[in-house]
Amino acid sequence: MYTRKNLIRDAGLVIPGAIALTMLGSKFAFADDGDFESPLDVLNYALTLEYLEAEFYRQGNDAGLLTGKAAEYFATIQTDEETHVMTLQDTIASLGGAAVPAPMVDFGESFASEESYLETAYTFENLGVQAYLGAAPSLFQEKELLTAAASIFGVEARHAAIIGVLQNKPAEGGVYQGALETALARADVLEAASPFIVSAETL
Amino acid sequence: MHETNEPLGADSGRAARVRRSSQMFGGKPVLQFRTETSRRGFIAGAALVGVGATFVAFNRNDPRAFADAGGDIDILNYALTLEYLEAEFYTQGISGNVLTDERELELVSPIRDHEQAHVDGISQLITDLGGTPVESPTFMFPEGTFTDRDVFLETASMFEELGVQAYHGQVALISDVQILGTAAAIAGVESRHAAVVADLIGGAPFPAPFEANLPVEDVLAAAGQFIES
Repeated sequence: MYTRKNLIRDAGLVIPGAIALTMLGSKFAFADDGDFESPLDVLNYALTLEYLEAEFYRQGNDAGLLTGKAAEYFATIQTDEETHVMTLQDTIASLGGAAVPAPMVDFGESFASEESYLETAYTFENLGVQAYLGAAPSLFQEKELLTAAASIFGVEARHAAIIGVLQNKPAEGGVYQGALETALARADVLEAASPFIVSAETL
Repeated sequence: MHETNEPLGADSGRAARVRRSSQMFGGKPVLQFRTETSRRGFIAGAALVGVGATFVAFNRNDPRAFADAGGDIDILNYALTLEYLEAEFYTQGISGNVLTDERELELVSPIRDHEQAHVDGISQLITDLGGTPVESPTFMFPEGTFTDRDVFLETASMFEELGVQAYHGQVALISDVQILGTAAAIAGVESRHAAVVADLIGGAPFPAPFEANLPVEDVLAAAGQFIES
């Protein structure tokens, strides 16, 4: 059965388990030149993903599926994502832009069990890592925004790894995705996220 | 010399890192993470004052921040030096069987492989760009580093957090977009390592909502105590 959850999971799994080092210095799957109109467009794209994550953890943590260390870690992850939302909103406003409103979301059966919650979280975090890396070149001329986006990207990578640990996933290909993170272009990220987004202004 | 690119603009984060650095300088590296209470306090403060405003203001048009780029090859050789240190550290630890727990070994062994892959990849990249990769320094690790699991993992945690901060300190200084992409792709993996090792030692895998960064001189001062020649 091809449920919403499976859709996003499969899309997230374009991540190769091991990345050949020949990729160093070669072309990444960065954003296409036409992917973003402006730095503000990139920030609103990031904001949309952060809205999605923040709301996902709010609902998931409220569902009380986790206990112990997992619950503690997820509380922190939720706060991190909320901080990213507020920071991006503030940054957009500081630049004279308009922050997009939060999309309407539907997480389907993600909160049916601890397992499904963790697996969807794992997918979101790895998708977030790929999205930020994919968008980085579009902020290349804006060094302060680039540094800021990178600082969020690293934290998403931390989340992704620890959720993999909580799931007892294999180290390589589960907790880690090889020696290099991989990038994903905007269209692919949005396709992966789309099963959870009912409607959104910028998508 | 350039200013630390400080995306957090928060005293608590800076204080935590200063504490951490002073402990590294003390000889025996013991990583001190921020407490959860201070972390929550910082986040509340950040929401009020607006971290984003800081992002925009922290070094726009500040020539000091970017004046010493020194070229991408210099940055890559700087990264290579840190990767040599990490690769050697993990190679010695794992070959010395300092880790006996099966899951710990499974989680840390790929870190060694990644660091070695970073060494090889960055060396090749420097060569491809027409530069000369620096030679590996000779490293010296304190007594007990490879015989005591706790010391090993605490040292690993310090190296990983240092590596993350080193890469993030260079993001704004890299002049070629492809090299930026490569450095970022490595930095993300270092973040994963940092989180996993922190979890293994009961530390904080997510010490803050944003990665911190450090300028070259601070990183080399911290790493220098492990460099014999």
